[in-house]
Amino acid sequence: MEPLTSVNCSAIECTSLSTSAPIWQDILAQAMTGELLAAMNYTSLSEMCEDPAEIADALEHSECERGHAAAFAAEGRKIGVDVANNVDAKHWKRLREAFLRCIAERDFIGCLIVQEIMLESFAVASYSRVGKVAPGSLGKTFARIAAEEEDHVDHAMSILRAERARDAQRFDDKVYRLHLDVMTTLAQMLAKECTDGHCEVCHASCVKPSLFDVSLSAAELRGASLQQYLKTLDILGIPGEATLTWVTQLPV
Amino acid sequence: MGDSVAGLATLARTIDVDFALIGHQESWRAAADVLAVLRGPERTPLPDDEIKDILPWIPPRAVCHVDVRSIVRTKSGGAKARGIYIDSFIPPDRLEAAYVHENIARVRSAAACAIKAGAKIVSLGGFSSILIEGNFDQLPERHDTVFTTGNTLTVAFIVQGIKKMCALEGRNLSRSTLLIVGATGDVGSGCARCLAPIVRRVLLSARNVERLRKLAAELEADGIQVEIATDLQQFSAEADVVICAASLASPSLLLGRIAPHAIVCDAGYPKNLSPSAEMLGATVFFGGLGQVTGGMRFAPDFHGILNRHPFPDVVHGCLLEGMALALEGRFEPFSQGRGSITQERVDEMETIASRHGIYLAPLYNADGPVEDAPHCQMECSRG
Repeated sequence: MEPLTSVNCSAIECTSLSTSAPIWQDILAQAMTGELLAAMNYTSLSEMCEDPAEIADALEHSECERGHAAAFAAEGRKIGVDVANNVDAKHWKRLREAFLRCIAERDFIGCLIVQEIMLESFAVASYSRVGKVAPGSLGKTFARIAAEEEDHVDHAMSILRAERARDAQRFDDKVYRLHLDVMTTLAQMLAKECTDGHCEVCHASCVKPSLFDVSLSAAELRGASLQQYLKTLDILGIPGEATLTWVTQLPV
Repeated sequence: MGDSVAGLATLARTIDVDFALIGHQESWRAAADVLAVLRGPERTPLPDDEIKDILPWIPPRAVCHVDVRSIVRTKSGGAKARGIYIDSFIPPDRLEAAYVHENIARVRSAAACAIKAGAKIVSLGGFSSILIEGNFDQLPERHDTVFTTGNTLTVAFIVQGIKKMCALEGRNLSRSTLLIVGATGDVGSGCARCLAPIVRRVLLSARNVERLRKLAAELEADGIQVEIATDLQQFSAEADVVICAASLASPSLLLGRIAPHAIVCDAGYPKNLSPSAEMLGATVFFGGLGQVTGGMRFAPDFHGILNRHPFPDVVHGCLLEGMALALEGRFEPFSQGRGSITQERVDEMETIASRHGIYLAPLYNADGPVEDAPHCQMECSRG
């Protein structure tokens, strides 16, 4: 990796980033891939919707996610790294397929559960953690995007709570079914070590063991993500003892 | 698996909750066992390092439903109360003062769960009451939910345990020198008020000398001879009856100089006595425990996991107080902390508990039962 300079980067910041840039490169790549996948999901959702307002809403969200991906790419450029993305990487591909199954079933609520409850819990929690430790504009960008994603979740929550109020049992069963599919994949992604081969997003070897060098850890990102997920399910009104069982049964 | 999870969710929605018990695990082994039950027998238990990574992130929440039965018979059978056990998921190695704000937030969050579940009375188990003691205003806004520390019934069972052990050992309590470690706490001071009038001499130990002096003055006003010290080595006499009721984050107490063949009640949660404490000749038992003779049921089945005792249906007094009050239909903040436990209140709580078949548990220690207990042997033989 070349030494890094940027007009937005202080001398101290650049010195610290020059050694950790490969780590940030992989963190940014995972984040960018997630944002592009979210953009694709919202585009797919817009194609399923019939209500013009819902279509516009989904397209707006899609654009917003693309904007986030662009912001992460820009942060990479600031520290002198190319931020790759791979929505076909094995875990991300499975997450996309889970969403597309909801699309195929024309299951609008299912789509919201996958994207807003499960994937966004992961995004909000992990971006927030990264935002706290990443230096300069990199940290600010992660924190800003975490806040924006949280707004997305708030928007979806009102729809989902209304849906649950109609038939709680049916709603909870649906969430559990999607949990088994989506959260199992996310749990594998978030495992402390990638024991099932390369994730196909990191540019070289797995970034997880190096996260300690930037005051992060895979365990912390997983813990924060699952905590955010549980809290989101609490807000939806799903009994906490049920969701606790769901989460403890995930693979590690 | 899907059915059982869906069933659990349905259960949570349809059952009225009389009481809630807020607790936490005192060891990583206990925490691992709780997670293993939740994870189910068909899955590999989580490795210890994963448990230590995951548990601190779990927000407080209900873990299981608890039904408790009274021995009082009604037309429809035994009276019963329904409740939930809420774990605050305070990590066992984070009970120290450094984590106090984080832990208070956890207890507040657990309390919010109890309120949301509609519990009429909530018992604060272990460190939960220590964290909130005297600061009930720090709990979330309540509607029809009251909180009790449960310490009055804990004191009752400690005192009963001391008397029983003295009887078993053929000791005359009135000739004993009583030492209470953690004497100024809610439980310690309650024990002092109950036992000081019936022993020969009283030694009180705690960290805060001002609070020690205040308690001593209160007892001395009733003509009781009291000696206080912040350091156990400073006492002029050796105690032959000892109650350990200090709020210690881990079992670390070394008693040092006590009488040969002393009776020692470890009433801490977590336990007070260090595993390395030399207790040669002493008879140690775990105090503050009661047994529900009407029976208890957990859903999912946490029998022997949440109540890790060598006897069936044994529970800490602090949690049993909420259950007893629920069975009695007395939804009131019976124990509010900060040293307000008196002999009269202990008598009242004992009466309520015994009316519903909640009695002192058979005495035991880390090595097993310390008295003949036929139903323990039966339980052990069941495997």
